[in-house]
Amino acid sequence: MTTPLPLWLAPAVVASVLAPAVYLTWVLDRWVGARVAGRRTSLGQTLASPLAEAAQLMLQSSPRAERPDRVTWLLAPASLSGLAVVAVATVPLGPMLHIADAPGGIVLFGAAIALVMVAVFLHGWSANSLFPLMGGYRFIALALSFEMPLALVLIAAALPAESLRFSDIVQSQVDVWNVVRQPLGLPLYLIATLGASFWGPLAFPDAPDLAGGTTAESSGAALLVWTAARYALLVALCAVGAAVFLGGWLGPGLPGPIWLAFKTAGLVATVVVIGHHVARVRLEDFVVVAWTVLIPLALVDVFLSGLLVL
Amino acid sequence: MGLTAFARLAAKAPAPVFVARGANARSLAFELSGTGDVVLTQTPRHACVLLATGAFPDSMVPALRQIHDQMSHPRGVVLAGAHFRGHGPRGVFSDPVVVTPEGDVHDAVVVLHRDLILGRRPSAPPLLPDRDPTPWRGVGPYGQGGKGMTGGTPYGRPLAGLADDRDGLKLDALELRLGPFLPMFPPGLTLTIKLQGDVVQQARVGDNPFRTDERVSVGARSSVFVRALSGPVTIRELEHARAAHHLERVGEALRAAGLGALGERADRLAANIERVEAAAVRRLHRLLRRSRTLAWATSGVGRLEPDRVAGRGLGLVARACGLPEDLRTQDGAYNELGFSPLVEGGGDACARWRLRLAEVAQSLLLASAAGTRTTGGTGSVESPWGSISSDHAPVGSLLELLPGMLEGSDWGDVITTIVSLDLDLEEAART
Repeated sequence: MTTPLPLWLAPAVVASVLAPAVYLTWVLDRWVGARVAGRRTSLGQTLASPLAEAAQLMLQSSPRAERPDRVTWLLAPASLSGLAVVAVATVPLGPMLHIADAPGGIVLFGAAIALVMVAVFLHGWSANSLFPLMGGYRFIALALSFEMPLALVLIAAALPAESLRFSDIVQSQVDVWNVVRQPLGLPLYLIATLGASFWGPLAFPDAPDLAGGTTAESSGAALLVWTAARYALLVALCAVGAAVFLGGWLGPGLPGPIWLAFKTAGLVATVVVIGHHVARVRLEDFVVVAWTVLIPLALVDVFLSGLLVL
Repeated sequence: MGLTAFARLAAKAPAPVFVARGANARSLAFELSGTGDVVLTQTPRHACVLLATGAFPDSMVPALRQIHDQMSHPRGVVLAGAHFRGHGPRGVFSDPVVVTPEGDVHDAVVVLHRDLILGRRPSAPPLLPDRDPTPWRGVGPYGQGGKGMTGGTPYGRPLAGLADDRDGLKLDALELRLGPFLPMFPPGLTLTIKLQGDVVQQARVGDNPFRTDERVSVGARSSVFVRALSGPVTIRELEHARAAHHLERVGEALRAAGLGALGERADRLAANIERVEAAAVRRLHRLLRRSRTLAWATSGVGRLEPDRVAGRGLGLVARACGLPEDLRTQDGAYNELGFSPLVEGGGDACARWRLRLAEVAQSLLLASAAGTRTTGGTGSVESPWGSISSDHAPVGSLLELLPGMLEGSDWGDVITTIVSLDLDLEEAART
């Protein structure tokens, strides 16, 4: 059992964890993009790039579209940010440090990820424009196909811990990490992460073929919030992946939060590199593969994990 | 003081640019994005700078004005070799930055962006009145545009109406007109499509805006392939141009597949084609050929059967169907170089981009071995679009085939197909 943070301190801790993580992920994304393109950029330019882009978006005027649902249009980026914050808050940072280590942590995290679908669809629908709407529908069509494997591999990881609490799942990996004990888990989780954060091969709702998809009519601060929320969501998903499959804070020598940060950074880097190298697949093909291969594999993961526990 | 520091920080961001291309437009992708301080946007909403390049017939000007007004403030316009019939050098814009043919477009964009962000230059005012394109004609009980809950054309926008789906279901069908500046479309292409979900039920190609009596271009099309119709050019120059052209198309295909950084790499190779080593192209080719997802995403998309393309002079599109159609086989200079056409099976988008990359490597080898050999002057030339002559532009044949290829495809496949076909409307309008 870990010690909860005082409630008044939780927002500050979430902000102090998430803000630098979002910034560093943004930097990493730009740096990897430049390397893949064969473009030389200075360290200073790379480090300043996200801050400058954010400042530019802050100075840009608010988006205008023909008769949007204004409230929902503003609410959608805020919702995505809120869901990313909730998802991050469920991750225990160390053996004695957590923000919201709920007894049903996996359920809370799963609920937040499921609601991402609502935020993305509202973002697409509320602009009252063709390509954003198509982006929103694409995500609806896709969502269940990655949410099912995501939920199943998390359940499989909870079985050896006999608990839905993330800190218990981390503690259950003292002897052997789940990435070894459940070799199907992390690869399936990473594929689901690509879908949930609509990244790389599964970047359907905001794709270039839809002229930016749900963001096609967005600009200014709203676009900044949406962009930052996507990075935050990616960080949250990777942090949970690090806790559930890579032993979270467990590791020799260094403080637990540092280990968690390293492991999360490793997963974030993996996803970012995949995003710049792996082409977007066809939505229909992915749905077929998800239901005929990924979900059955995730079920096998659950059954095998159950057998091992027995 | 604080705001000034904030604006200075913002001015260091890459300049977001939306490019609108007309006829005879400069190929600017690498020139702009190669240094990283300019980023090309997919939508005018994300852009601060509208870059108009090429000659715009009158039919494209209304859409250009709309794009301008869709940009958020602060915004500005750069004209790089842009021409508008009867509008003078400043075109249809109030205060654009005009780049001379010798001028640096990249620098003009960066400076304009910085001036806009720092408030040294006012944001461009709207060109169109902020009012509905047509009046509201609501007659339904809820103020909608038609009777009952659906139907009608409020504000000139047709509402979706029920129609039979291919699966036997009844789904909303929406008729839309897209183009002529959609970033993944070739310049000038407009499509009128009927969508159900994101599946195209009907597609119709709009009139070619470049097929006009207007003198929209400054002089004739300056392509080396067109020059080769009437006089000799060196094989080296011709093959370098072919390789650069194919690499730019590969870059577009990669961007459409969500691989913007790899697309930029292809643009970089295209921009430096005379200094590029075949090994660099082969590395890119190997990387992409190994990509299972790229093959997965493009296999079976936009498929053309050999009997539909045979004998139409469609060049690479025919060779991607396994047909060795290439005018270079009848050219003695190419025969001396041991040329034989490359082919791919499949006839789909995957076969076309693979063949494009293979032909880039082949063209570089031909260029390096050609020495001072010349070709051309016979009235017909094997161009990147196929076998062209003064009275034959194969792109026209592809435009005829296009609706049939798109119907039944989802939107992602529509873009993959269009990008893979290299539909140059300016080339189609040449004859």
